[in-house]
Amino acid sequence: MPDDPILRVQNVHHSYRKGVPVLQGIDLTLQRGEIVALIGRSGAGKSTLLRIVNGLITPTSGDVGVFGIDIAKLPESQRRLVRRRIGMVFQEFNLVDRLTAVKNVLVGRLGYTDTLRSCLHLFSAADIALATECLARVGLAGFEHTRVRDLSGGQKQRVAIARTLAQGSEIILGDEATANLDEHTTTEVLSILSDLARERGITLLLSMHDLTTAREFCQRIVAMKGGKIVFNGAPDQLSDEIVREVLA
Amino acid sequence: MSNQRYRFAAMAAVAIRILVALGVVGLIVWSFRGIPFDLSRLHEGLIGAKEFVLGMVPRTAAEWAKDVHYASTLKTALNQTIQMAVVGTTLGAVVAFPLSFLAARTTSLFRPLSVAVKTFLNIGRAIPIMLYALFIVTVIGLGAPAGALAIGIGSFVMLAKLYAEALESVSPGPVEAVRAVGGSPVQIFVFAMLPQVFPNYLSATLYALELNLQASFVLAIVGAGGIGGELWDNIRIFRYLEVGVIVSALIVIVNAVDYASYRVRQIFS
Repeated sequence: MPDDPILRVQNVHHSYRKGVPVLQGIDLTLQRGEIVALIGRSGAGKSTLLRIVNGLITPTSGDVGVFGIDIAKLPESQRRLVRRRIGMVFQEFNLVDRLTAVKNVLVGRLGYTDTLRSCLHLFSAADIALATECLARVGLAGFEHTRVRDLSGGQKQRVAIARTLAQGSEIILGDEATANLDEHTTTEVLSILSDLARERGITLLLSMHDLTTAREFCQRIVAMKGGKIVFNGAPDQLSDEIVREVLA
Repeated sequence: MSNQRYRFAAMAAVAIRILVALGVVGLIVWSFRGIPFDLSRLHEGLIGAKEFVLGMVPRTAAEWAKDVHYASTLKTALNQTIQMAVVGTTLGAVVAFPLSFLAARTTSLFRPLSVAVKTFLNIGRAIPIMLYALFIVTVIGLGAPAGALAIGIGSFVMLAKLYAEALESVSPGPVEAVRAVGGSPVQIFVFAMLPQVFPNYLSATLYALELNLQASFVLAIVGAGGIGGELWDNIRIFRYLEVGVIVSALIVIVNAVDYASYRVRQIFS
C-alpha cells in the first residue's frame, strides 16, 4: 500500500534517568518523500527522537514503526538490518578523519558486507563503484582518495551524505546537520539533500534551530518543546507566537 | 538562591586548588629535605668521576685498536639485547591488546570488570620488572629467554593500561555513525575505533620498545644476558675503556630506535 506512512511514531515516552522525562507522548507520522524540519531549543528532545527512529535508543514506552516494522521491539541484531535503510548525518560529521573519503562512504556498505571481509577492508568492486558514484553525486568526484581530515566542513558533510546514499537510505535523519556550517555551505548541503528527496523519494527528517532555513527547504515543520510536539504543520501556518514560544 | 550556591561552589573550587598546590609544594620540600646533598665532598668526588669518564676515552693508537677490536666482539650480545627487547615488547603487546578492551570503561562488558582489570594492572605495574626477572629466572633459569619474559610482563601491564586509555578517549561520534549504518560490533571497532586509536597504540608500543631496550641493560644484573651483561662485567673489573665502547653502542642504539619510531609514527599518523 503506497499510502502507508514510512514512519509512524505513536505515544513515545523516554527518559534517560527515572523522573526526568525527555520525551513525553510524541506522535509523528511521515509520508514517503516528505521533507520535514524538526525545530526546538537544545534539550527539547530532537536528538533523542531521531535516535529512537533508527533504534539507537529504545524508548521507555510507545511504538515506533519504520517501513511498517516496529524497530523498538526488535533485538539489536535485527535492528541493524532496518538501520541499513536509514541514513544519518550529524552536526560533527562523525567521519573517520584518518580514512579517505571513499573509505568513509564505504562505511555505508558495512551493513551489507560480512564481518570478516569488512575487517580486511575488502569491499566488492560493485561497492567501490557505488561509493565513487555517490561521491560524484554530492559533487566530490576526484576527492575519493583525499583523507577526510583534509576536507572542509561542507565537503565533510557531503561525504556523510554520500555515505547515506551508499547505504541505499530511504530515510535520512539529520541531527543539526548544518549547525557547524556557514550560510552558503548550509544552503549547498540542504539543496543536495532536497534534490535527493525529490529524485529518489528519500524522506528527510532534519533537526535544526534556524527557522529561516527550515522554512526555505522543508514542506512541514514540527516544533518541539520540553519533550512534546507543540506545532506540526506547513511552514506558512507557523505563527510568530508559536515561534516565540518554541525558540524563546 | 542558586546565585549564592554558585558563588560558594566557585570558592570551594578555588580553595581545593590552593590546597592541592600547597600539597605539591609540601611534597617537594619534604623530598628535598630527605635527600641531603653533601657538597663538601664534591671536589674529591669530581676527581674520581673525572678518572672514570676519562678512562672510557681511548687516547693512544693502541687503545683505539683495542676498542675497535672489542666492538667487533660485541655483535652477538648487542643482537641479543635488541632481540630480547623486541620479543618482550611483542609478547606484552599481544597479551595487552585483548585485555585492554576489558580494562577500558567504554568497551568493558560491565563496569566492575573494568575496575577489577585496572586494579590488577595497577598491582602489576607496582612490582618492579627486576622482581619479575628474579622470579622467572628461578623458574626457567638464567639467560635471554628469562629477560625477554620479564620484559614481556612489564610491557603487558604498561601497554594494557595505555591501550585502555586510548580506547576510553575515542570520540563517540564515529562509533555512533557506524552503529547507525547497521554495523556490527566488530565493524564498529574496525571502522570507528581502530582508526582513532591506532596512532596511540603504535606510539605506546614503540615507547615501550625504547623503555625495554633500557630495561634489558639493567636486567643483565640478574643474568638476563645481552650487552648489559658485558657492561656489568666490565664495570666490576674497572675496565673503563670497554665500558666506554658499550656506552657508545647504547647511545647509538637508543637513538636509532628513537629516530626509527619517530619515522614510523609519522608514516602512520
